[in-house]
Amino acid sequence: MDASMMFQNAQNMVDKITDLPTIPIVATKVLELLDKPDVELDEVADMILTDQVLAARVIKIVNSPLYRSAHEIKSVKRALVYLGFRHIRELALTCSFIEAFQGKDGAFDVMTFWEHSFGVGVVSKIIAQRARYMDTEKAYLAGIIHDIGEVFLSYYYKDDFIRILDEIKGAPNKLVDAEERFFGTNHCHIGLAIAKKWNFPPEYCEVIANHHNPGEASIEPILVSIVNLADLFCSVRQLDYGGREWVSFNLAEEKAWDILKQFAPHMATLDVERFCYELDDRVPEVQDLVKSIFEGMVME
Amino acid sequence: MSLADKDFELFRDYIYNLCGIYFHSSKKYFLESRLARRMDEAGISSHVEYHKLLKSGPGGSQELKKLLDEITTNETCFFRNLPQLSALENKLLPEVVATKGKIGFRKLRIWSAASSSGEEAYTMAMILLEKRVALLKDWIIEIVGTDINETVLAQAREGIYNSYSVRNTPDFYLKKYFKQESSERYILSPEVKKLVTFNHLNLYDDTKMIFMKSFDFIFCANVLIYFDTASKSKVVQHFYNNLQPYGYFFVGQSESLHGVNDNFKTVHFPGGFAYKK
Repeated sequence: MDASMMFQNAQNMVDKITDLPTIPIVATKVLELLDKPDVELDEVADMILTDQVLAARVIKIVNSPLYRSAHEIKSVKRALVYLGFRHIRELALTCSFIEAFQGKDGAFDVMTFWEHSFGVGVVSKIIAQRARYMDTEKAYLAGIIHDIGEVFLSYYYKDDFIRILDEIKGAPNKLVDAEERFFGTNHCHIGLAIAKKWNFPPEYCEVIANHHNPGEASIEPILVSIVNLADLFCSVRQLDYGGREWVSFNLAEEKAWDILKQFAPHMATLDVERFCYELDDRVPEVQDLVKSIFEGMVME
Repeated sequence: MSLADKDFELFRDYIYNLCGIYFHSSKKYFLESRLARRMDEAGISSHVEYHKLLKSGPGGSQELKKLLDEITTNETCFFRNLPQLSALENKLLPEVVATKGKIGFRKLRIWSAASSSGEEAYTMAMILLEKRVALLKDWIIEIVGTDINETVLAQAREGIYNSYSVRNTPDFYLKKYFKQESSERYILSPEVKKLVTFNHLNLYDDTKMIFMKSFDFIFCANVLIYFDTASKSKVVQHFYNNLQPYGYFFVGQSESLHGVNDNFKTVHFPGGFAYKK
């Protein structure tokens, strides 16, 4: 199936749904933060970045005609500077409101989804630093939002998605291939359809659309490659959506690795083994981060 | 005396650079207790002082050997590296079998290069026996275990184990391939033993190493750490040469070949990685 057809299918699936999911806990935490008299902008930005839907929403809204920004705003921090504290509150409230009406269960444990998303965010940032890619925050954000299409499938196509996950469990079959067989599209195209609807900046759209196909990227192939590699490295350690997909890769055969080495030739001498062992050490950190964000959720 | 984070990093990096074994943060307390033992005996109370002794003090190299003995638990067991075995079953074995099947070469050769008392080699034998019905129907299976130590080779050939050796063995395999004579005595079935040959081999011995040809899978866990970089490079180059172009080479958990051999490529799978040509 060609890409334009798959994108069309994805758009049809997304268009059928009138609203997109978000996680209220983070929005609530943002509100709490905003109540503190001495709150720092950075703190609020970091908290918002812990929720990909909220982060995406912030960027979308600040770029929407409503706010009439002269320049495209690409980071949450800039968005906050531009919006001012009052509007952040509005935004957080809106997101909570939407969430309150949602109440749908996802196809996978949401914690494992967040652990993967944050894992890819953190590892993207680490790779960006190693490769001396300038905008490490952008790499972090791009990593967090790359699987936005999966949230959608998990929430709105739960039963079908569970069937797909069962089908590939334990075997080296790729999730994207199974999605294509089943839906005639995959989470990359679906993510792109959502991102376009939300007026995401083009480089984020590209990461979402091509994080499994870094060779197709044309705007920021290096950013896409960083996220692709981070995704691979997370998928073979405990940041793997609870092991729903059996991933294996030969680094030397990965297109993203080639692209990254062209940009940063010193990466060719990276101690890959040690890099992996260091990533293993970061896994509990990511899990703790996600736990701290969502803690109390079970109690409620 | 507790090991400060920066001292832990000091020893972690020192040990990694020297022998290619990485101490994860989760092993900090293990390293701390082993260092304490050695420092007690050496009469040193500061971690920094002990590090200096290892690096350049009088008798540093003997002390280093003693420390390595403390931190590399020599004991082995069946089904020791589960992520590695699961990668083999899921992907690497079917892949190699498909490649060889295509050229009509229905023979599988596996080498456990530091076999000790045979647990690794026999684990492979049991896993492959289970594939006999379908994937490996009518295939010839050759598993070779080699070690420098004749005593452990004799134990391997005998095939009698204690409960500690089988502690990781899934119930299915334990029931099917072992006869339990007492709580401490497990006898391996002849069916498994028959698949494996044990030979004496010194990995330094070039004249012998060049004859270990055409393996599909080579395992060499927790041995290279004792070699200096030059010997390590030489030994690993032998493994490289003796591996089929589609084969895989495995080292132990937390080991690294970085700086030892640049020809090998890393193939990553859940919970670990292997090397490929």
